[in-house]
Amino acid sequence: MKKVGIIGVGTTQFKARWIEKTYYELAFDAAKLALEDAGIDKKEVGAVVYGIYNEFFERQFMPDVYIHNYIGMGLKPSVRVATGGATGGAAVFVGWSWVASGLYDIVMVLGVEKATDNYNYFVGHPTPETLKAILFSGDMTFETPMGLTAAASYALPLIAHINKYGTPTERQMAMVSVKNHKNAMNNPIAQSPKLLTVEDVLNSKMITYPFKFYDNCLYSEGASAIILASEKVANALSDNPAWITGVGLSLDKAFAGEREDMTIFTSSLYAGRDAYKMAGIKNPRKELDFAELHDAFTGAEILSYEAFNFCEPGDGGRLIEEGIVEMDGELPVSPSGGLIGCGHAVGATGVMQTGEAALQVQHRAGKRQVKNARVGLVQSIGGPATAWTVALIVEREDKIRGKGRGAGKKKTKK
Amino acid sequence: MIPNKEKWLEEASKKIKVPKEFIEKAFKDELYGNPPIDAPLEIPDIMDITYKYTYGGISRFFREIRDNKQLYGTRCTRCGKVWLPPRSNCNECYAPTEWVKLGDGAEIVTYTIVYYATSAFYGKTPYVCAFVKVDGADTLIMQNVFLKDVKNAKVGMRLKVQFKEDRNGDMGDFWFVPVEEAV
Repeated sequence: MKKVGIIGVGTTQFKARWIEKTYYELAFDAAKLALEDAGIDKKEVGAVVYGIYNEFFERQFMPDVYIHNYIGMGLKPSVRVATGGATGGAAVFVGWSWVASGLYDIVMVLGVEKATDNYNYFVGHPTPETLKAILFSGDMTFETPMGLTAAASYALPLIAHINKYGTPTERQMAMVSVKNHKNAMNNPIAQSPKLLTVEDVLNSKMITYPFKFYDNCLYSEGASAIILASEKVANALSDNPAWITGVGLSLDKAFAGEREDMTIFTSSLYAGRDAYKMAGIKNPRKELDFAELHDAFTGAEILSYEAFNFCEPGDGGRLIEEGIVEMDGELPVSPSGGLIGCGHAVGATGVMQTGEAALQVQHRAGKRQVKNARVGLVQSIGGPATAWTVALIVEREDKIRGKGRGAGKKKTKK
Repeated sequence: MIPNKEKWLEEASKKIKVPKEFIEKAFKDELYGNPPIDAPLEIPDIMDITYKYTYGGISRFFREIRDNKQLYGTRCTRCGKVWLPPRSNCNECYAPTEWVKLGDGAEIVTYTIVYYATSAFYGKTPYVCAFVKVDGADTLIMQNVFLKDVKNAKVGMRLKVQFKEDRNGDMGDFWFVPVEEAV
């Protein structure tokens, strides 16, 4: 497989409602930002992968075909990826494979989502309709009629975990919320920058046991694009490209009642294992400089520490208590603010996180820069009970020291 | 400006199946304000489709519930695993399954309490969603557990199945309650 670089990143503001833009206008803005960042013309893009989750959000089936037209990519190869919350990450995965295979030299990965054009007239708010639009992603015969919301879908493995290990505690989960809202203060595109206390989180209203209001991410609207390029093109266009050096994708049993172990995010375990192996990472806690995890809910972030082998199963809660995952800790998690702080514009989220990881390793992440960041992990989760995980390793080539785990020195064949 | 406000409201109401007064409230500015010509313009809309859906090879599961108030699973003819939800084929052996009668007892394996739900579940919150292991089945099924106090839900809690009086042949026809609260 060939080396794949990230040479351009562009993300719109993530916010509750983009009343002034349609989904294709948002997509256009992200595409333009990413092309400008890469310093290339749209004509140079060989193919486009779109990440768009929900037809009911967009009020449109096959929204990608209209975006492709709108952003002037007509006749170029293109597919749309839709893997629930993992849509953005899976779109990057597909884009990566197109470049890694040598099929195209430059691929744009573009994620976009509207979420709050839905509207519930009886309560005067979008949320009940937004939740209903997501509910169609549950099994329509056996799960959707039971009222299994997205939050409930995450709560089920979490409660099983709590029952087995006694953790994470509600206080540990609240600390994740405080951290991610705080990290978002340094991110100009974030939807929910906030200085909260643990008590604020614990006292917020119960949404889905054990998640309180501030344990949840919010629905966002926004778009994010990255430009992937082959080694030759990346090195010609950028002094310091970010490289995707490891990828992993796993889809667990969607009927979670068939799973052998409910207490672990098994798809994250498998996707992480593959991504680590490809990137040559043996001790993630030591070798990773940061991670952008899929904190759709605080407890999910903690279970992800365990699935990605930052610690032993059951010890995830201690990582937040001991400050290890804070910005100044040993392994900062979600410097962007994550889904809780930055927002969750579903199809755009995983692309935004990958772009954030690129900015980190290129040392252009502004106030949220992790010092000396060289290698980071991106996680994108989707589907019923965290069925899908995409894991990506993004890193810089350490040309200066010459002893780094530079992407160019590794064999990535499987 | 909307030329005929009354007619617009009537047609919108018919189209999205929402009473006029709620639409009027949501579109107050567009109806009675004077937004600039290039201000974002919103419209009432709905996506709606009706079905005559087939349960295919697992039709008997819902007939047994609807007609006989009885839970059935399916057993793999090769490995003997008992599936609930039922499947016509085993996904491990790729062998066909056969119908097997299940018990009326069950146990909570994991659960959550939903306090904030979609518009489809108004008036039902808080409710418990649980993965339960029905006696005789090897896999878990997602179902609602109704308790006098939702906070009493616990992993390992013993349950009994209850059936609705007017059954339709869907998952809403049954639910679980704690054994001690069963009728």
